[in-house]
Amino acid sequence: MSALVVLPVVVPLLAAAVLLLFRGQREFQRVLATGATALLLVVSAVLLAQVSAQGILAVQLGGWQAPFGITFVADHLSAIMVLITAVMALASAVYALVDIDPEREASGFHPLFQVLLVGINGAFLTGDLFNLFVWFEVMLIASFVLLTLGSSRAQLEGGIKYVSVNLVASMLFLTAIGLLYGFTGTLNMADLAVVLPEHDAGLVTTIAMLFMVAFGIKAAVFPLFFWLPASYHTPPIAISAFFAGMLTKVGVYALIRTFTLLFVADVGYTHTILLWIGGLTMVTGVLTAAAQNDIRKILSFHIVSQIGYLIVALALYTPLALAGAVFYLVHVIIAKANLFLIAGITRRLSGSFDLRHIGGLFQHAPFLSVLFLISALGLAGIPPLSGFWAKLLVIAAALEAAQWWVTGVALAVGLLTLFSMTKIWQYAFWSPLTNGVVLAQRPSRLLYAPTIALALLILLLGLWSEPLIALSDAAAAELLDPSRYVQAVLGPATSDVGLGAGHAPVAGGRP
Amino acid sequence: MLSAVLIAFAFALGAPFMKRLAGDRAGWWLALLPAGLTVWYLSYLPSVAAGESIREVTAWVPRLGITLAMRMDGLSLLMALIVAGIGTAIVIYAGGYLKGDPKLPRFYLILLAFMAAMLGVVTSDDLISLFVFWELTSITSYFLVGYKHESAGSRASALQALLVTAGGGLAMLAGFLLIAVITGSTSISALLADPSMLLASPLLPAVIVLIAIGAFTKSAQFPFHFWLPNAMAAPTPVSAYLHSATMVKAGVYLLARLAPVFTGEPVWVWLLTLVGATTVVVAAALALLQRDSKALLAYSTIVALATMVMLIGVGGEFAGGAVVVFLLAHALYKAPLFMVAGSVDHEAGTRDVTALRGLGRVMPITWATALVAGISAAGLPPLFGFIAKEVAYEAFLGAIPWLLLPLVAAGAVLLMVAALVAWRPFVGREVMAPRAVHEAPFAMLVGPAVLALAGLLFGLAPGLLVDGLLVPAAVAVIGAPYTFYLELWHGLTPELGLSALTVALGLLLSWRWIALNAGLRSRFEGSRTGPAGAYQAFADGLVPFAEAFTRRVQPQDLRLHLSIIIGVAVAATGITGLLMGTLVLRVAHPIGYFYEYLVVAVAVAAALAAARASSRLVAIIALGVLGFAIAILFVFFAAPDLAMTQFLVETLIVIIVALVLIRLPRGSLRERGDRTARLVTGVIAVSGGLLVTSLMLTVTLEPLDLRLADFFAAASYPSALGRNIVNVILVDFRAIDTLGEIAVLVVAAVGVYALLRRRASRSEPMGAGPPRATDGEGEGT
Amino acid sequence: MEVPFAFLVGVLFASGLYLMMQRNLLRFVFGLLLLSGAVNVLIFTAGRLSRGVPPIIPEGLAAPAGPVANALPQAVVLTAIVIGFGLIVFTLVLVLRVYERLGTVMTEELGPALVRSPDAREEP
Repeated sequence: MSALVVLPVVVPLLAAAVLLLFRGQREFQRVLATGATALLLVVSAVLLAQVSAQGILAVQLGGWQAPFGITFVADHLSAIMVLITAVMALASAVYALVDIDPEREASGFHPLFQVLLVGINGAFLTGDLFNLFVWFEVMLIASFVLLTLGSSRAQLEGGIKYVSVNLVASMLFLTAIGLLYGFTGTLNMADLAVVLPEHDAGLVTTIAMLFMVAFGIKAAVFPLFFWLPASYHTPPIAISAFFAGMLTKVGVYALIRTFTLLFVADVGYTHTILLWIGGLTMVTGVLTAAAQNDIRKILSFHIVSQIGYLIVALALYTPLALAGAVFYLVHVIIAKANLFLIAGITRRLSGSFDLRHIGGLFQHAPFLSVLFLISALGLAGIPPLSGFWAKLLVIAAALEAAQWWVTGVALAVGLLTLFSMTKIWQYAFWSPLTNGVVLAQRPSRLLYAPTIALALLILLLGLWSEPLIALSDAAAAELLDPSRYVQAVLGPATSDVGLGAGHAPVAGGRP
Repeated sequence: MLSAVLIAFAFALGAPFMKRLAGDRAGWWLALLPAGLTVWYLSYLPSVAAGESIREVTAWVPRLGITLAMRMDGLSLLMALIVAGIGTAIVIYAGGYLKGDPKLPRFYLILLAFMAAMLGVVTSDDLISLFVFWELTSITSYFLVGYKHESAGSRASALQALLVTAGGGLAMLAGFLLIAVITGSTSISALLADPSMLLASPLLPAVIVLIAIGAFTKSAQFPFHFWLPNAMAAPTPVSAYLHSATMVKAGVYLLARLAPVFTGEPVWVWLLTLVGATTVVVAAALALLQRDSKALLAYSTIVALATMVMLIGVGGEFAGGAVVVFLLAHALYKAPLFMVAGSVDHEAGTRDVTALRGLGRVMPITWATALVAGISAAGLPPLFGFIAKEVAYEAFLGAIPWLLLPLVAAGAVLLMVAALVAWRPFVGREVMAPRAVHEAPFAMLVGPAVLALAGLLFGLAPGLLVDGLLVPAAVAVIGAPYTFYLELWHGLTPELGLSALTVALGLLLSWRWIALNAGLRSRFEGSRTGPAGAYQAFADGLVPFAEAFTRRVQPQDLRLHLSIIIGVAVAATGITGLLMGTLVLRVAHPIGYFYEYLVVAVAVAAALAAARASSRLVAIIALGVLGFAIAILFVFFAAPDLAMTQFLVETLIVIIVALVLIRLPRGSLRERGDRTARLVTGVIAVSGGLLVTSLMLTVTLEPLDLRLADFFAAASYPSALGRNIVNVILVDFRAIDTLGEIAVLVVAAVGVYALLRRRASRSEPMGAGPPRATDGEGEGT
Repeated sequence: MEVPFAFLVGVLFASGLYLMMQRNLLRFVFGLLLLSGAVNVLIFTAGRLSRGVPPIIPEGLAAPAGPVANALPQAVVLTAIVIGFGLIVFTLVLVLRVYERLGTVMTEELGPALVRSPDAREEP
């Protein structure tokens, strides 16, 4: 059982090691990378099933009892994130088989992608703050290299922005960890949850702001999002799509984790700030998107906008809102990544990402049109697609909390999102082709497979949202009751929140 | 009832295949669906007539209490029959109208999907599922309006219709969710049964306004009316079906459905009557400007919808009865009139009523249909439209009589529209049309004729419908038991007098129309004021605004990004610290040795030198000195392993920096000029330094809990057999950190190799595949 | 001795942040180096300073005889130094590549422009 919690990290790690060793064998790499990612999907699905059945799972790595060793924890939120990561990873990996050129494969695309998964899953599963930093860095360096792999001019330009801003975030994160350690003496998050209430709330809140900014940069919230639209459109689509879906969400995950488990000393202060950040992020993202003509840039700015909804949901800090946040996370990851994947196919058909050079796709590629519509309307929150429930939950939560202005903003941004999606539709699909080409290239069927699967998922989550809502509910309940997390990590003996330092059992050692 | 909707959806998905199987006759086969549904809905007639309402509940999202509940009562049945019945005529008609169009299979798919969604709207008993179907009608309408998407006008109209109705839909959703938050339920039946909780809520006016916005956008009420005439870009079957008979009535249906809850609430009464009255006046006035038959009909549809909105606002028994009568009458005459206009367009090649004459000679059946429907539309006996107008007048007379003022004027315009569409193009000795005219094919004759004749039948024998359908429907709108009867002739009443006045005015308008129209057009043509102008300003202004906005919030210069981000970090933490009172420079008395201070001072000096260095050499030396100073400090404070690592890493970095620098341009590191930027960054940097110092002072003043350190010291050797505790932590207690660290190093090495490898081979950048015509990796602009 | 260290870290932060906000990417990297060192010292200091008692268990004993320096921050800083090394070297090489490909290391000369601007440059 305990192995299960670690497997989402171990599987890609082993795969990466083997892939690095056999860098020359292209076919072998392709098969192994896809196989390992498929295996990751299976493992992640089993993990979520186990968490649903048994509650929060915790593993003390090396057998060292928390808070002394490092603990891996899978609660509903973590398990859901790990599973959706695996889904997106498989979709991107299959797409990459066609999309990534042999040059990039020879430069190490496959092992790098697996290392990226190691970092992401590590970040989702770890229960230790410094270890979270380490996984963040693993993820970052892998994403740096993937982003710049190929070294085209645009990639270098975007890459340097991405790298520099994210390094600043890492430094802030590390600073915050150091300061937090400086008066708590611990790095284990469950332990911190127990210890922090004993300390000066003002100090905790001040340091919480550092965390908020550090994670906020990674999540690309207003006004810290610049790096994202400057870089996400530059690498090949298989990479863009996965980045677009997942990477900012790791930042959002970290915000959710820390601002439900650790920094709840002054919710009235911190979460009000989050609410404003969320609202501004929504508006900024959607307005900047309206100025773009490159499909990838439109989508990139929309990532920012959607992050706003997630932050608002976190800020509302009610069971309904947090359930909405989790549902929204899953939905937006799928919808956004799929739109990128579809944009890649339209590029192959039309030779461009620029809306002014694309046209006539509804006539020439009706099937692709349907895939696009499902994803785009899903993103815009049109029923009965997944985005509808995501928006419904967040808006209902905002109304329940009597946060009128945020409700209004969320609704208006929803309408503008629809506007942006129809803009792509009207130009690329509906309008007759004026300048440019159609069918520059007949795309491989393999490119369609992941987009079909993801579109079906969007439809399924819309028509039958109950299971995911149930999971999101469970995740929200755990987030709002940190004692469950604490108990799973530290054991029942120290589960009473408020028990002081030094009461932890010195029962370390190997069992 | 849910199964009917689902079957309709399934059938819609199969429609393209039917087209492939049956070819041009597909319309007839596909009409079996709406025809079958009509019969199936008719089977509810006996129980509905008996005053029952049948409810089916299907679970959907139990966690949110949302169901796919369906309910059949008089109002739902009336709407369902209109949707399915007129749908039958439309599907057949479309087969003729769009014959040979390669996009016809898609058309059928979307049209039937619309019908399914519309049936869902009118039978849903759950607010959320009603909304789901509601949005589906908006989306399908978008695709139908944009059917001729090669034309930019069609695309713009489709988008306009979508944004207006979807925007209203969002407001409505907020209203529904407020109801759910207030009452804890989304069931319509439950709300109708006991609205007390909602009515007691202080949020009631907000709920009413939000829901009304949704209904107004859908039913094209002022100030959202402008999308409907533009939606006439759709093929005529769509205009006839969605934009006159069914979808635009969804708003009216929703208001009628919720009327029992809100009737009598001042906000409700005034909002509905005033918006309705304004809409009547505006739409009637705008109708005077039109020459296009479909535009004329569109404005008259708005007038009719507004009349119903006013009736619902007035509330009460008479109005409740009048609404349902008017609803049916309008559907029965407006759909055939649209289809007739479409047939004329199809055969004669234009919809401009001034360009057509004498068509009655060549299109006699079409003309006959037009006349019957037109007389009903004009509100003349013995058609059902006459009865509907009479009961509406009666309802207003009994409640808010002054509302009749705009209504009578508008009635005159409606008569004029009827005359322009059903009379003017058909009369005359000579056939005048842009091309040779023939009678429309059978498929385009049968539907409108049947509907028009139904209007005649119900006019002559209104009793046929009253007890079975209209009374139960009226009861649903009123929310209380009520019964009434309809007669074509009920004596010399005030209503009859008003009707006579209306007719007289209408005839006058029709007689003087050419001069009036020409005069008004020369005056107002191309005017961009009012709500339509506002939308246009929004649509035109959004992108320039967004571009200006983007230039502000997304500067291109990386240095600005970094400055803002660092500034925000410092400000957010600093201000919070000040507010919370944690930022105090509490200096305890430091105890230290001279040599320690010396090394600290060297480190400080090196840092400052690095920051100020203009020469690259100085900078490297300063950084090196700093690194070694830090290493020495580690030695002083009992961290030999750290010191070793720091020495090693620092040496490596200095070497690598030097190697890289050789390849970079020589020249000063310092920048010329730009004092402001230097000042701003300086202030941010110094504040950041102070902030960190202050936080460190605060933090280190607190006692540190050392149980982890103590545990590691105690457990290192006994449990992990290591004497160097730091090493034991790295390879055992926190081995996973080290694993990640190694991963970072390996990937960094791979990355450096990949970056430099490209450089060695000196080839062109890799594209994402063969299409290089317009390289997507570059800047597209 | 924590107090002087706090001021040292403050100075390192100020210089590092200042360098990171300048036009020249090389200065950004220097700033990063400074900042990374600063954070390491910060964490080290956060574990409190003690002189002359490295966290090493003498031969023949199962545990240190007396109090020793806090080993946890040392381990953490060690990890952070190595990770920082990897990131900084990669960044440095990236800057080198940027210069080789774009001919500049000045931040304002880096694209891509995200809205139309008259001086937008095309991919060569």
